[in-house]
Amino acid sequence: MPPVYPTLSIVVALGVVVLELLVIRSGIFRQPAYWLTMLVVYGFMIPVDGWLTKLSAPIVVYRDSDTSGLRPVWDILAEEYLYAFALLTLVILAWDHAGRAEHRRDDSRARP
Amino acid sequence: MARFQYLILMGLCVLITLPLEFVFDARVWRRPRRLAVALAPAFVVFVLWDLWATSTGTWGFNPEYTVGVTLPGGTAIEELVFFIVIPVCTLLTLESVRNVLSGRVRRPGARVR
Repeated sequence: MPPVYPTLSIVVALGVVVLELLVIRSGIFRQPAYWLTMLVVYGFMIPVDGWLTKLSAPIVVYRDSDTSGLRPVWDILAEEYLYAFALLTLVILAWDHAGRAEHRRDDSRARP
Repeated sequence: MARFQYLILMGLCVLITLPLEFVFDARVWRRPRRLAVALAPAFVVFVLWDLWATSTGTWGFNPEYTVGVTLPGGTAIEELVFFIVIPVCTLLTLESVRNVLSGRVRRPGARVR
């Protein structure tokens, strides 16, 4: 059995990609603003997630056998980047979806 | 004080990103209804994942750095704060980037509409 945390992270990240490409189809992955945002957020993820998971004084503690064991930057597990991608992309998709719904409501009020 | 480490970290994230709301006119905090709708799906999915991962022991929380209030299974209540704060920081970044790329906000303080 592969370790559960990286496996689930891959599954959930792929699930979010499929949700966008097949269901929502907002075109978010073609927007430079999305990728620039992810770049900035990943930059801030290093100190924040690093502080949470650093092995010297961790706030969040993982069972080693459930993780990939790969901690390339400041002890942050490799699968955490996939986890973050899934979490934040899902939030952005829902934010834009809610924004489009608001616009439609406004438009229908403006043009009765 | 050490027990408040996780909460303090979350508070710092809120404080550091708050200027984006005004300097780049991100309008995330000022659209609370849209914000709630945006956070809800990820909150449900990731809190369920968290409850499951904590109860099965994939991850846990250091009692030295958390306030000690937990959900069933042992999930620290700080995690609920995390799933609100980090998405808000991300949306503030997204809307700021959009406003700058579109030219709606040219530079801090100089709003163009």
